[in-house]
Amino acid sequence: MSKVRPAPLPPDTVIGGYRIVRKVAAGGFGVVYLAQDAQGLQVAIKEYLPSSLVARPAGELLPQIAPEKLSLYRLGLKSFFEEGRSLAQISHPSVVSVMNFFRENETVYMVMNYLEGASLQDFIITARDLKQPKVFRESTIHSLFDEILRGLRIVHQHKMLHLDIKPANIFITDDNKAVLIDFGAAREVLSKEGNFVRPMYTPGFAAPEMYRRNAAMGPWTDIYAIGACIYACMQGYPPNDAPQRLEKDRIAIALARLRGIYSDNLIEVVEWCMSLDPLSRPQSVFALQKELSRPGARRYTKLTVGEKVRLQLDTMIADTKKTIHKTPDVGKQLK
Amino acid sequence: MKFSIFQVSRKGGRKVNEDRMGYCYTRKSGIFLLADGMGGHPQGEVAAQLALQTIAALYQKEAKPEIADVGAFLNTAVMLAHHRILHYSTEKGLPDAPRTTIVAALVQDGCVSWIHCGDSRFYLVRQGELLVRTRDHSFLEQRRSAGGSVIAAERRINRNVLFTCLGSPIKPVVDVKGPLALQMGDRLMLCSDGLWGSLNDADIVYHLTHKPVLQAVPDLVEKALRQGGKNSDNVTCIALEWETPDGFESTLGGDSAFTVSEGAFASTFQADATGAALEELNDAAIERSIAEINESIRRIAANKS
Repeated sequence: MSKVRPAPLPPDTVIGGYRIVRKVAAGGFGVVYLAQDAQGLQVAIKEYLPSSLVARPAGELLPQIAPEKLSLYRLGLKSFFEEGRSLAQISHPSVVSVMNFFRENETVYMVMNYLEGASLQDFIITARDLKQPKVFRESTIHSLFDEILRGLRIVHQHKMLHLDIKPANIFITDDNKAVLIDFGAAREVLSKEGNFVRPMYTPGFAAPEMYRRNAAMGPWTDIYAIGACIYACMQGYPPNDAPQRLEKDRIAIALARLRGIYSDNLIEVVEWCMSLDPLSRPQSVFALQKELSRPGARRYTKLTVGEKVRLQLDTMIADTKKTIHKTPDVGKQLK
Repeated sequence: MKFSIFQVSRKGGRKVNEDRMGYCYTRKSGIFLLADGMGGHPQGEVAAQLALQTIAALYQKEAKPEIADVGAFLNTAVMLAHHRILHYSTEKGLPDAPRTTIVAALVQDGCVSWIHCGDSRFYLVRQGELLVRTRDHSFLEQRRSAGGSVIAAERRINRNVLFTCLGSPIKPVVDVKGPLALQMGDRLMLCSDGLWGSLNDADIVYHLTHKPVLQAVPDLVEKALRQGGKNSDNVTCIALEWETPDGFESTLGGDSAFTVSEGAFASTFQADATGAALEELNDAAIERSIAEINESIRRIAANKS
């Protein structure tokens, strides 16, 4: 299926009164540009341009859609509208906001506020390369996810699920605000069009129910991903993906290694969020927030000598296996 | 067990889509089903739905995680579906029982077995060759296999007239075939007559061979609908690519390939009989969506200031 990606619009193209500065990102659903409005304000513009369905030679404006792809193209457009519609209803500092929506070049564009900073994924990679026992400080994790959960709670209140929360989709702005981005996978809780466009998922962060068809997804599905993100902030690497865990669950062992480094409370919260059984997780963001903000001293339990020996043996076995299973990058998207 | 799968059902120029499809699987076995409710009798879509639900329910009960006797299971399941439809019809006091075709393929131990009744078909394509295609239970196909003059027959005999189906007062005629050992890359497809009625076998084989199923299925359906024109029948198709049991990553359509893990059970069947037809967006709907979104943006902005 190797196919040439449709070409992005060249710099200085003017669409809907905005001037394109450059391409910032490209995904399966489209291209994101940095652009300027008439007043010189920087904005991010997302162009609907599904790479598997359209072609666009370099330098041209109009995407070309083969007639047999047209109905899938229009179906994908629905998801794009879902994203716009849901984001338009939400106004929260921790959720990326939509400023405008327009039609041009036979496709549609979503204008969002432009964020300057880096993704949580970039921060994790930088932090883990410092080779400290802690990737992030516990207080940093707390304040970061406190903001994210406030935003996510509003999202869920609008009957929306994000469904692709991962460090790459959590943006930390230069003025230290955490913002949830890329609602491309988000869709209304009740809509069922799974036959056509399967939700994309990211191994390690996708809850086990996302691998099943017609399984009940809910706030608990996003909460699994939040748990996995906190895990990545502690370990520096994403957790094993759900199918691997269903086969042999090593999360408890991996978390045991962090005992004494992070508080028992935080480790327990991660374990709770990442329960394989959806019903065993916090059922709402509120329940999780309550647990995270529980006052009281942090407990730290050091590992006993016996536990340490057992963990070490486990590492030796796991290391021999690693030659076969390559650890994926943090938040690498499986498309 | 590893396979890639894709399924699509779309309404043609008919009032309702009476086609139903779905599949369920355990870690060692999988069943794939398609039923086409018949017009000319009441509630064809109900018959199709009942048939699928009955077979799926029996499968879920007996696949632990494999079916002990596949041939016997397929026979029993289809007969049970037939009786369930007749029972429904007497229960509701319908003057005439609803009717449906059925085709089912069951995969386990690296083999496939299949059953059909009516004119919904099963295809097995291996390395660009059509290895298996079910023979419809229609008068036309019967004439064909008897060696009669096909051209003369095609003119006189309507291909849509079947001599057997589920739900009729006469005991259904079924064909059970297999088990047939699968090879890596085999394409298995179930489809309704809306698909094969508009496309020839060479075309079907070509698409299945040259594309991953997640492209081949929507392309075939789209093509069949276009050929069928505005009076097109409903078109339903479910296809899977058989992959090696385990060991390496699929290079085709990696996103829809999955390995079934321990204790897992999955099913695509839904309890209700709503065949929500997918309506496409037209220009007016696109404009409306954009207007709605911009209205929301303005409202939120007004609230802020």
